[in-house]
Amino acid sequence: MNETQQLSLDLKRMIIEALELEDISPDDIEDQAPLFGEGLGLDSIDALELGLALQKRFGIKLDAEAEETRRHFASLAALQSLVEARRVA
Amino acid sequence: MERLCLSDWRGWHGGATRSLPPTQHRLSDFDRPGNSLPGMLRRRLDETGRAVCDILAALDPEARYPLIHASRHGDARHTLAMLEALAAGEPPSPTRFSMSVHNAVLGVHSIAQQHRRPLQALGACGQEFDALLVEATGYLAEGHPSVVIALSEGALPEAYADHVRHPGIPCAVGLRLSRESGSALVATKGSGSGSVDPDPLDVMEWLAGATSVLEGRQRWHLEAP
Repeated sequence: MNETQQLSLDLKRMIIEALELEDISPDDIEDQAPLFGEGLGLDSIDALELGLALQKRFGIKLDAEAEETRRHFASLAALQSLVEARRVA
Repeated sequence: MERLCLSDWRGWHGGATRSLPPTQHRLSDFDRPGNSLPGMLRRRLDETGRAVCDILAALDPEARYPLIHASRHGDARHTLAMLEALAAGEPPSPTRFSMSVHNAVLGVHSIAQQHRRPLQALGACGQEFDALLVEATGYLAEGHPSVVIALSEGALPEAYADHVRHPGIPCAVGLRLSRESGSALVATKGSGSGSVDPDPLDVMEWLAGATSVLEGRQRWHLEAP
């Protein structure tokens, strides 16, 4: 498994663990599918929880009100790009 | 007090230390509560909260009646974990913070069942059962045909064990009450000093007929229908 694939898997596991997603495995989370609303079906509380998980795990602080945060949370692939660009841990 | 009748009830407890309630009043899927909730909502509640939602759904399947949920301590395990995180200087979980309100279980249930009738959450320092009946009487007096009440206690963290009265295991009981249908609940004046605040297991034992009187602020009897 290369570094990109490993990060993808780590992020999926982080989402499942932080959001206590029952009966969902990393394979169920598609790279390009929406995380919120349709697709995985996460809600606004999940967005806050995910922001906290990113801060704890990768040292990335996001502004909850910023429009760019919406883009970072659009899909797993978008989240992965964010982490690759801004991770400090 | 207005006439109160017990139309139906459901009970649940975790652990294997007791065998109550009897079969017809046991929550279906007793060992793994939460069937009334879609997975994305179920994950937000502990086992007791899930059991309360199942009880409410069983007693109010068409989401027609006012619902009142009482718990002395609520989801104490998650509340304590959040306080410990804060004490350690860690940011609290937004999910846990949002679910730390006393009406969280009713909120999740109402979303899952699209319930749009009155909802009420109570804590009454141990006197939840009497408080539930007082509030239920009010709704019936307003003209609602039935009211569903639920009383629950979640698992108690060890740190609290020596400081509060607790049934020892997570448990929940729900009753559908009306003014006419079923066995009448009859109250006589309580013994006052020395009376024990009833927890959900006490209520279940009484409803199952193991005890003839439930001692709360008042002494409650069930008349044969």
